[in-house]
Amino acid sequence: MSGYNLRAEDYTKQNFSKILKKIIFYTVAILVIFLSVYFIIILDTDWHRIGSGEGILKQLSYFVGLDFKIMPYLIKPAFETFLMACLGTMLGLIMSLPVAWLGAKNVTPLGLASFSFARMLMTISRSVHEIIWALIFVGAVGLGALPGILALAFRSVGFISKIISESIEGADKKPIEAIRAAGGSGFDVMYYGIIPQILPTVIGTIIFEWDINIRRSAVMGLVGAGGLGLAFFRQMHMSNYPGVTTVIMFIVGLILIGEVLSHYLRKRII
Amino acid sequence: MEQIYKRNNAKNFILLSLFFFIIYLCFLYLGIDFQRFFSALGNFGKLIANRYYPVDIPYALEPGYLSSILDSIQMGYLGLIIGVIIASILAYLAAANLTPSKRIGYPVGKFLIIFARSIHETIWTILFVTIVGFGMLAGTMALTMYCIGFFGKLFSEELENVDMKLVDTIRSNGANEFQVFAYGVWPQVKTAFTGILIYTWDVCFRASTIIGFFGAGGMGWYLKRNVLQLEYARTSAIILSIIVLVIFSEALSAYMRDKIYKETQ
Repeated sequence: MSGYNLRAEDYTKQNFSKILKKIIFYTVAILVIFLSVYFIIILDTDWHRIGSGEGILKQLSYFVGLDFKIMPYLIKPAFETFLMACLGTMLGLIMSLPVAWLGAKNVTPLGLASFSFARMLMTISRSVHEIIWALIFVGAVGLGALPGILALAFRSVGFISKIISESIEGADKKPIEAIRAAGGSGFDVMYYGIIPQILPTVIGTIIFEWDINIRRSAVMGLVGAGGLGLAFFRQMHMSNYPGVTTVIMFIVGLILIGEVLSHYLRKRII
Repeated sequence: MEQIYKRNNAKNFILLSLFFFIIYLCFLYLGIDFQRFFSALGNFGKLIANRYYPVDIPYALEPGYLSSILDSIQMGYLGLIIGVIIASILAYLAAANLTPSKRIGYPVGKFLIIFARSIHETIWTILFVTIVGFGMLAGTMALTMYCIGFFGKLFSEELENVDMKLVDTIRSNGANEFQVFAYGVWPQVKTAFTGILIYTWDVCFRASTIIGFFGAGGMGWYLKRNVLQLEYARTSAIILSIIVLVIFSEALSAYMRDKIYKETQ
């Protein structure tokens, strides 16, 4: 009951120190922000190059308009980007199944060793950016769509396997025990006991990841894998700014299609 | 029973072979050599072992590189702050139940969020670098756009889930638009806002490590330089440092989210 017996002055004192703490925290935060604004934005920027607002407007006006001539040449890269995302997600799913199996606490075969190994793989996969994966794979397998697919797959493994292993951990134990009691092997437990339970979550996750992968595959071309990113890179280097706008419109269109499709698919499944 | 089983088996077999045939067609269309595909993993291992392996860790501890890490972090939270301020307004416009004007505000807010979201952060960086030049201003602007897309989507979904009874009560008592937000909506979404904010910071920091590759400052610029100079040992050191930082930021954001969750319970 001592909490309710606070005297009024205690209460105000407590309140005062709380407020003081808050004030100090906010002052420091604002100071830090202003310092970074000063160092990052004011000191680091070449204000002379930007010139006046007019200069920026002029620069922006280059981007206005569409280049209709390059449109026929963008259909194949757009399709390539789309396929890259699909294949990358599929390969990512295939690779993430064993990782998820190792990374689920209740089914991992070697206890803590395999569990922490799988968790490490997941973390590495998620924390390396897709551009870096693409760079590594362009070095490993050469230019083209293949490094893009591999990069997307490696990037997706972390997320997909994390969700799958979490849903394996959260699966209902009763059917698993029933299968085990009836003499089912480890494979039987996995196939008849766990997979039917986690299937909806897994499919939802894959659709979500596929949606993100379309976005990612559109930039794979910037570092040498194919697709719309390569077209963007070319237009940018030719300083054909209306062409750049056209490529961006294609990317936005592709992503909108992906979003609508994934929305529709998710609604149908769930 | 057995017949059904057999028929299902045949159906599955046909579907499976169709599936593999489609994948084969995709590979043909993309011009991928099967031999190259199956040797990819081996090549990847070889590349890591031969080129990237002796990691040049002292390079990642040089003061120049360390200060670039600081630059990246600063770029991350500046982009986050500006982005979240803009995104909150846009999310309010784009929430179907709260938007002040359904005819203009809703589609504009929704469109801007989707537009900011559908363009990858690296493409935003390239665009802003062409407009304002190399440097961290371009990076901050790119991260701002990224945060608008990311935060705006999550927050507008959160706003659409608020309990409208409370909001309507306050509105029917004659509150203006600001009062409705401050007393009806904000207390309901406060926790979610903080959670999404921390999550966005995490993602934004992850993006800020890489955007330097396309001309914004920070760690990415070091990465670009070493990739172009084929300094594999240094590149792997940088990638390793990015992994360490990202793990650290993930742990921090998980800790903070946990703390906030506990405080509200």
